[in-house]
Amino acid sequence: MEETRPAQPQLAQPQLAQPQLAQPQLAQPQLAQRQLVVWRGDQVPVQHDIPGPGDLRDDTNTGRLLIGSLVRAQLGLSLMCLMLALTVTVSFPLVAALVPAIGRTRVAGLPVTLIVLGFAFYPVFLAVGWFYHRQARQLEARFTDLVDPPR
Amino acid sequence: MTNPAVGAIAFVTLLTIVVGARGIRVARTPDDFMVAARQVPPGINAAAISGEYLSAASFLGIAGLIVSQGLGSLWYSVGYTAGYLVLLLLVAAPLRRFGAYTIPDFADGRLGSKGLRQAATALVLVIGWFYLLPQMKGAGITLQWVLGTPYWVGVVALGVVVSGNIAMGGMKGITFVQCFQYWLKLCAIGIPALVLLIATGHDSARNLQPDRAPVFTRATVLQVSQTTDFTLARPARATVSGLIDQRRYRRQTVPLCACRHVAGAGAQIGFAAGAPVPTSLAMAPSPGVSWDSPLSAAGTDGAHPLASTYGIIIATFFGAVGLPHILVRFYTNPDGEAARRTTLIVVLLLSTFYMFPAVLAVLTRLHAPQLYLAGDSDNVLLALPSLLLPGLPGALLAALVAAGAFAAFLSTSSGLLVSVAGALSHDFMNRGVTSFRWCAIAAGAVATAASLLIGRFSLALLVGWAFAIAASSFCPLLVLGIWWRQLTRAGAAAGIVVGGGACLAAILATMTGAATRGWSAVLLGQPAIWTVPLAFGVMIVTSLLTQRTLPGNVGQVMLRMHLPEALSRQDYRSFPLERARRSAGR
Repeated sequence: MEETRPAQPQLAQPQLAQPQLAQPQLAQPQLAQRQLVVWRGDQVPVQHDIPGPGDLRDDTNTGRLLIGSLVRAQLGLSLMCLMLALTVTVSFPLVAALVPAIGRTRVAGLPVTLIVLGFAFYPVFLAVGWFYHRQARQLEARFTDLVDPPR
Repeated sequence: MTNPAVGAIAFVTLLTIVVGARGIRVARTPDDFMVAARQVPPGINAAAISGEYLSAASFLGIAGLIVSQGLGSLWYSVGYTAGYLVLLLLVAAPLRRFGAYTIPDFADGRLGSKGLRQAATALVLVIGWFYLLPQMKGAGITLQWVLGTPYWVGVVALGVVVSGNIAMGGMKGITFVQCFQYWLKLCAIGIPALVLLIATGHDSARNLQPDRAPVFTRATVLQVSQTTDFTLARPARATVSGLIDQRRYRRQTVPLCACRHVAGAGAQIGFAAGAPVPTSLAMAPSPGVSWDSPLSAAGTDGAHPLASTYGIIIATFFGAVGLPHILVRFYTNPDGEAARRTTLIVVLLLSTFYMFPAVLAVLTRLHAPQLYLAGDSDNVLLALPSLLLPGLPGALLAALVAAGAFAAFLSTSSGLLVSVAGALSHDFMNRGVTSFRWCAIAAGAVATAASLLIGRFSLALLVGWAFAIAASSFCPLLVLGIWWRQLTRAGAAAGIVVGGGACLAAILATMTGAATRGWSAVLLGQPAIWTVPLAFGVMIVTSLLTQRTLPGNVGQVMLRMHLPEALSRQDYRSFPLERARRSAGR
């Protein structure tokens, strides 16, 4: 379904570019043949069944399915990132309680507690946040392309 | 007493009032403010959010708690930062897309219930007041330190300045003031930390040795300002002037045993280098948890430190989501995508800030352990610069710290009071500017009066409690409201009332001294460990039992929260960011 509609701009470009580029005459017949195949009239009715922004606005079954899939994907991404950050932070007191020697370790004369709690967790938070921000943006871009393909 | 700190505090206060007063002309109505503020770029917006968020607890409280209780208190600064990561992951973009201006607005818009709205408003008042108390206390002890005024003078001064300023219409959406406050606070804690680190070096790490009582690194004379009970880890000789153990000395050398002593007000006790540092009984560290342990105990007996630490973690990680004065700032992002970018920058700004309280606290432990004996650990940061760097440089650094601390009290309490007064006038009084003004004055007066009673609780502890209430009421409401279609009115109301109520009851029980030992001290002193799961559980179970009352428009609401802007707003592409930037700069 998706392949047919994006073909339109690809179609128009070679025709427009033709006089400026002054391409060799040899290439023209091949291009013209490919254009005919894409524009076959019997494919046009298919477009009525493509889910679009209208489905979301009218709350049809397809629309609900679409938005449900987006919410689930976003929630999955958020929970994965949350688990990552929580595992790193929450495991530290547990490990320190089970193995007290870890809490007493020194690195360069400083308690390991100071290094971990005072400095080391912040880069982890930033990395998780940056990863999430990028992934969430890509997820939304993919969803937008699926529902409302660029014309 | 000519003190540069007086000038610094006066400067910060005047600046806030003057710029706030200009705001009356710039933004007359909340709508004006929103339209103007929506064009703020993420970097400025993030600094404004951080400026409003970094409160007395972050500035003075955490460092004081680390010095007296140990490195486990660093969980507060880790949690205050992680709170924004949780906010980014779970609520930032959907909440912005939903367009709610306050949490009661969200509850009303998502579930369409006036009763739920009023319950949420009541909780905004509880959390707001709880959060205002430590700001007032911070002002009290700062003025006490700088001017030598009684505690209540600073509390009343901040209450009058902030509520008067808001009642006159200032501080309404002053994004640039809050942005400036962040950079001021960062400088006011970062510059002293770096200067003192360079000035003192890293030569006496022995006070960081585990399980060893701190010692004086140089000959030190303690000035006892009020009658103080203290103990010594081992016997020591001291040169005493004044009253100690009910005997009066005049510059005499006295052997002090490793037991309990009472020093009278005005006494001077001189210790030689290498002598053990006395520990004040009023703020003795918990037994069983060593200073460098990553755990933090709740009760006086230091029982169950792991559970208590997880209590702090849950409260701070999930509390920031539900703070009433933060949501407003998210509305100033142009869209959900910008809300995410802003939140990510906030995490960066907070991470940068929170490294410095740890540095200053360790410097105090290393070089100025006599500050333990001060009756209150919260003024450690104010006292540190003059002790380590005598003369003018130390006084200037102390002035910078005092100015930063006052910026913290002013910005946070202004943001909170606007939220509290707005909630009061919007939901319980007749709406309008006059009503809002009287609510601001009344709410400020209540907070000021209550602050006079809470002198003995640490700033970080008080703010941690405000976070615990938010985490066990508004956090489940927002998270389930955004991600779970099946949330019902009854479920949401039951969850915030049971969770928030249980948490508040536990905290009030701790404040009245109901439990100081064992499991009860942990479960009442750090209640988030059970009230947050309780609130989520009650909300989910009640919703599942009342599925027939599911709001009919849930599909549309979910769509509004989760649909990317490219699809939801047809005119989105015709509204380029450049135009927004240009009109913001006019």
